[in-house]
Amino acid sequence: MSGEDILTLSRATKLYGGNPAIENVDFTLRRGEIHGLVGENGAGKSTLTKVMAGVVTLTSGVMTIDGSEASPKTPLEARHLGVAMVFQENSLVPTMTVGQNLFLGQERFYNRLRGVYIAAQQFLQSLNFDVPPTTIVGTLGAAKKQMVEIARAVLHRAKIIIFDEPTATLTPEEKKYFFDLVRDLRKRGVSVVFISHALEEALTLADRITVLRDGRNVVTDDAAKFDRARIVRAMVGRDLSHTLYGVRKTAVRKAGARVLVVQNLKMAPAVKNNSLSVFAGQITGVFGLVGAGRTETFKVVAGVLKRDFFHGGEIILNDRPVRFRVPAPGVRAGIAYITEDRKVEGFFETASIAWNIYLGLLAKFPRGRALLSKREGMEVGAKWTEKLKVRAISNQARVVELSGGNQQKVVIAKSLVQEPKLVIFDEPTRGVDVGAIVEIHELINRLADEGTAVVVISSYLPEIMALSDRILVSRQGKVVEEFSALEATEEKIMYAAIH
Amino acid sequence: MKRMKLTQQEIVLAVFTALFLAFALFLPGFFTAANMLSLLQNVAVLGILGLAMAIVVLGRGIDISLIAALAVPPGLLLQMVQDGHSLFASVATALLLSLAFGIVNGWLIAYAEVPSLFATLATGLFLAGVGQASLFSIDVVQWSKGMEGFQNLGQGSILGVPTPIIMFAISCAAVAFFLRRTRWGAYIYAIGDNPNAARVTGIPTRPIVVLQYVLASLIGCFAGFVMAASINSMPTRIFNSTLIYDVILVVVLGGIGLSGGRGGVVNVIIGTFLIGTLLNGMTIMDVPYAGQNLIKGVVLLLAVITDSFLNPRNEETAQQGDI
Repeated sequence: MSGEDILTLSRATKLYGGNPAIENVDFTLRRGEIHGLVGENGAGKSTLTKVMAGVVTLTSGVMTIDGSEASPKTPLEARHLGVAMVFQENSLVPTMTVGQNLFLGQERFYNRLRGVYIAAQQFLQSLNFDVPPTTIVGTLGAAKKQMVEIARAVLHRAKIIIFDEPTATLTPEEKKYFFDLVRDLRKRGVSVVFISHALEEALTLADRITVLRDGRNVVTDDAAKFDRARIVRAMVGRDLSHTLYGVRKTAVRKAGARVLVVQNLKMAPAVKNNSLSVFAGQITGVFGLVGAGRTETFKVVAGVLKRDFFHGGEIILNDRPVRFRVPAPGVRAGIAYITEDRKVEGFFETASIAWNIYLGLLAKFPRGRALLSKREGMEVGAKWTEKLKVRAISNQARVVELSGGNQQKVVIAKSLVQEPKLVIFDEPTRGVDVGAIVEIHELINRLADEGTAVVVISSYLPEIMALSDRILVSRQGKVVEEFSALEATEEKIMYAAIH
Repeated sequence: MKRMKLTQQEIVLAVFTALFLAFALFLPGFFTAANMLSLLQNVAVLGILGLAMAIVVLGRGIDISLIAALAVPPGLLLQMVQDGHSLFASVATALLLSLAFGIVNGWLIAYAEVPSLFATLATGLFLAGVGQASLFSIDVVQWSKGMEGFQNLGQGSILGVPTPIIMFAISCAAVAFFLRRTRWGAYIYAIGDNPNAARVTGIPTRPIVVLQYVLASLIGCFAGFVMAASINSMPTRIFNSTLIYDVILVVVLGGIGLSGGRGGVVNVIIGTFLIGTLLNGMTIMDVPYAGQNLIKGVVLLLAVITDSFLNPRNEETAQQGDI
């Protein structure tokens, strides 16, 4: 059945705010093949599939479906062209039944539920799906939800079905069943694209594999011609011109006092029995792919995540067990969590730079500051903007008017003014220009030199390699491997991070 | 966008000036000393309520129960005095009731995480119901002998300025001081600007939210005292009136963004004058009650639309797609 190309992309480029998410990507999908898409976080996998599914449109480049040019502008248009996407987060309505979900958007003016259920039952049986059509979707497990999604895609006569990390939430048995389903789809002549962080899966399931790196198509080849090592090499290999991260560590800082111990931390569904330690005067890098539970673990430590999700385990800060339910006591105990999403939980957009920093001071050291002092605010602001080289017209400029790098520096200053003992940087250089990256890295190094315990969470391997004294690799909700920066290589780390 | 934000206050000021001039020129009996004084006197209570609402709206909330907070504790005060209790004990009880009411509102919103609109809608109805069902003997709680001296809060004048206006001025000064000069004021602005960032920074967001509703309730109660003192009774049926719309109108029209963190006492004052002028002018023109509501409704709608254009809640929309 396989053979001719059903979907092609040539010189496909998508810019987000001037930055390319994918650049000049050529991609072909054949009829009736299973095509694996692998790459690091931010390599452009999601963007590429979103283009096919009509979620985003190309900035430049051409896409053809069935030989004719196509540029679907909405998922609905893509569906009419025969492309369906099964998202990581389910796009089913949880309060409706399976049958209702299957026919969602196709209801006639008058619907008889019984008719819907009979049709759904027949259809599900024809696919050999063991899901009763009258069940409420919210009560189904992850695997069955996925079945419903797949069934819906087939019902819409999709010729191409795209899966974004389909196995991330499945148990091993469910995975096996899912693989059979996908192979069955192939038999029906459906082409399947799936994104996976699990290389073994890609190798066993896919007919062909495409590796993306930094928004470019590195290689596409038959799965049989790949092995794990070749994929990893293709994923992490970098341009030599990348001098920013070129320097290898030749010495690491010695571990100081043990500041933080996390033991068997559990938090559904992201963190599973996670244990780790963080030491003073050292940078602990935490690497992992999306969904590895890194951010969640440290958000629980800092009290940022709501306690409803906390299931068990122990957090020991400076030899004292702690459990922060909101961030305020964590801040008072000397923890600073510097967010990966500064717009959502980083800065105050209506306030000036100086005032943002002053608010940090007020929150940590409220005593004696019942009345505000404009002068103190200005002084603190001036001191820290100077220290962190925040570039702005003045201290009174509003933070929204700054570049990403300078915004990030303000957010960092707001935390450092609190004199923290443990600083958690979550993706410290996301959306930051190159010049500022260097300065932020210098700052992080200086903090560790001064004896602060520093944690750097990053999905970008070169950043982890350039900063860390100690590298923890996180996978599926727990730390699985620990390296000294001296012995670590990008290949070793990546190997540990994917399963 | 930024340029427009800067001129929002000026727009409202310009509208106010235009309306005022138009009324002064074309409406006989508007621009007289007596009418000006009565205009100010009439809006004093509204202005104080506006301050209470402003404190809550600055922190991204809304307090629909303000009218109950205005009517019930002062009504209780009058009723208790009527029943023979001392003035001091009655005032203390009224304030305690008001405080408790604010705490309940704040707890529901901050800790139980009920949206402020629904929480205060329910608690306001509850408080008004409690008052009418069990506290007051008749709907209009009458003045009694024991209230001697209390009327000074709302009657007479100091240096020629009617007392309610003085009370409004004092409230403005106190609230402005609280918001701009104290740590807790800074926290309220921070929470209104970005509640997540405030939380992560270590600001005790939930206690501050409770504080906002307690202050709103107490200021509402104070407005009720002034009102009762100036008219020598407490018409508790005011809960069923459209007063709450006027209060929201004052806040939104004055330019305090419903998305939180923007504006201050100055905006409440501007909004109060604008609404005061509008209401006064309509009364002189003898616009019927229904027509007044129609006009107020249109103005409120325009104000809310303008507000959501000028101050969008943009943190969701501003997020970039993942790559």
